[in-house]
Amino acid sequence: MSASITMNLPSDIRYVRIASNTARSVAELFSGENGGEEGKYEEFRNAFELAVTEAFSNSVRHGNSPDKGRQIFITFSPENEGLTASVADTNPAFNPEIPPPDIFSYPESGYGLLMIRQLMDEIRYSRKDGNNTLTMHKKLKNPHNQ
Amino acid sequence: MMIRERNHNGVTIVMPVGRLDSSSASQFMSGSPSFSGNGKIVIDLSEVDFIDSTGLGSLVGIARKKREQGGDVRLACLNEKLRKVFEITQAFRLFDIYDDAETAAGRQG
Repeated sequence: MSASITMNLPSDIRYVRIASNTARSVAELFSGENGGEEGKYEEFRNAFELAVTEAFSNSVRHGNSPDKGRQIFITFSPENEGLTASVADTNPAFNPEIPPPDIFSYPESGYGLLMIRQLMDEIRYSRKDGNNTLTMHKKLKNPHNQ
Repeated sequence: MMIRERNHNGVTIVMPVGRLDSSSASQFMSGSPSFSGNGKIVIDLSEVDFIDSTGLGSLVGIARKKREQGGDVRLACLNEKLRKVFEITQAFRLFDIYDDAETAAGRQG
């Protein structure tokens, strides 16, 4: 996988599985080309799939614009011995540093960013020209050399 | 999403099938009458191959509702992907988690 892949999806939760399945396919392609025989990089693939799923779902959930044509832009890039995904939208700005929910209060939501932070090696948030971009990077580590 | 149910020694075992995510979680939450009331139920997750934060939130919501009503929820048969989600969110602290559903249904307490 030598080039970036970009996709635009409608800001609609019905499309979450397209984002999720594409993220998994990209992670499988990337790890497969880097020596990942069956099962070796399963944790990398699971983490990448789930983090992108959470970022997409957050973008849909926090979009309160009446514009039905709103889209979410996802880019996958191989870099720095790993994979980067960026998820961009035109929603209002948000604080990516919100504290994790108190599990003993039985919260039904608020786990998304916590999960992304736990799953990925690096996340960055930027706000520019009315766009939010959440950039997430996961290194492909050999699970036998950790 | 498809939900199967069976009974073991008077305990309802609910088995969702497929992905428990933001496009299926609300359907799951309203998918069984056993999610209300003071009975003990087991949610068998052996046929769930993916869960996200919304799916997790649906399980937490069902547990809260059941416990407020004097009932309880136990979980069984989580694969490695699901266990990871419960670990990184600390949600494992809210549930008794078993390797098989019949043991979960049969255990007293």
